[in-house]
Amino acid sequence: MSDHPVEYHAGKKIHVGQGEHHITADPDVMLTTILGSCVALCLRDPRTGIGGMNHFLLPEGAGAGTDAGRRYGAYAMELLINDCLKMGARRDRLEAKLFGGGRMFDTLRDVGASNADFAEKFMRDEGIVVVGGSLRGSGGRRVQYWPATGRALQRAVTDTQIPVPAPAPRPRMAVDAGALELF
Amino acid sequence: MPAASAIHILIVDDQASMRALIRTSLQAIGCREFREAADGEAGLREAITSPVHLIISDFNMPNLDGLGLLRAVRAHPPTASTAFIMLTGRADRELVARAVQFGVNNYLVKPFTVAQLKEKLEGVFGPLT
Repeated sequence: MSDHPVEYHAGKKIHVGQGEHHITADPDVMLTTILGSCVALCLRDPRTGIGGMNHFLLPEGAGAGTDAGRRYGAYAMELLINDCLKMGARRDRLEAKLFGGGRMFDTLRDVGASNADFAEKFMRDEGIVVVGGSLRGSGGRRVQYWPATGRALQRAVTDTQIPVPAPAPRPRMAVDAGALELF
Repeated sequence: MPAASAIHILIVDDQASMRALIRTSLQAIGCREFREAADGEAGLREAITSPVHLIISDFNMPNLDGLGLLRAVRAHPPTASTAFIMLTGRADRELVARAVQFGVNNYLVKPFTVAQLKEKLEGVFGPLT
């Protein structure tokens, strides 16, 4: 990981917004996002160059230690991991970099720290090696990540550059598959 | 009215975090008897070696996915009548339709709440105590 200014990139640039994830095996693709209290997991299989990035925020009031927080967070991580595996990555080779979790407001509850705590615990529980990144601190950061090489760059950004987080996600209440009602 | 604590459950998911979440959610409902497997192949071995009342299995898994596990369980006479709840990452109508075709008892979309899990269990076993 480097803290140098954001680099010019001649290849394809894909922005990963809050609640999204993106996977690629294209060596020309650079994934980028802007993080405040949200966390981005940058994940890759170094043998195949397959990798991706997600950008998640735990539900409001659901920190790392709560059931709702863990359920949503584990789901967000699973989407990225499963898509990498489906594309051909191997779980035992996965390596991660974690970014974000900044303290954006001087309030009692540090949302960024909750997100960072969750992400670190998840990586430990799943046995995925964290090889770099930058978590917590104050303020936001812009992250660029090249899954093919594992290279990542970050730069501090001002408050006005950080998108206002969308309403915090909540676990869905409806559990039907379209019009197919079974039970 | 069956007791949740009497149901022997096999949890099959390749993510340790998800297995732990399913286990704690089941404990909140009153279930006490669990075994775990990290993929479909291991789950099938476990189900055949020590039959359970219920298998809760993820769909996306290496080696043998949830549908493969379901088909194998249904094809093996000693486990053919084991209740089976499939976990999916999204409300995929086609996947659920295929699971129904292979004899799934119920399904649940992640991320789920304890209340939703209980509702699905009761859909299979009836009201639980």
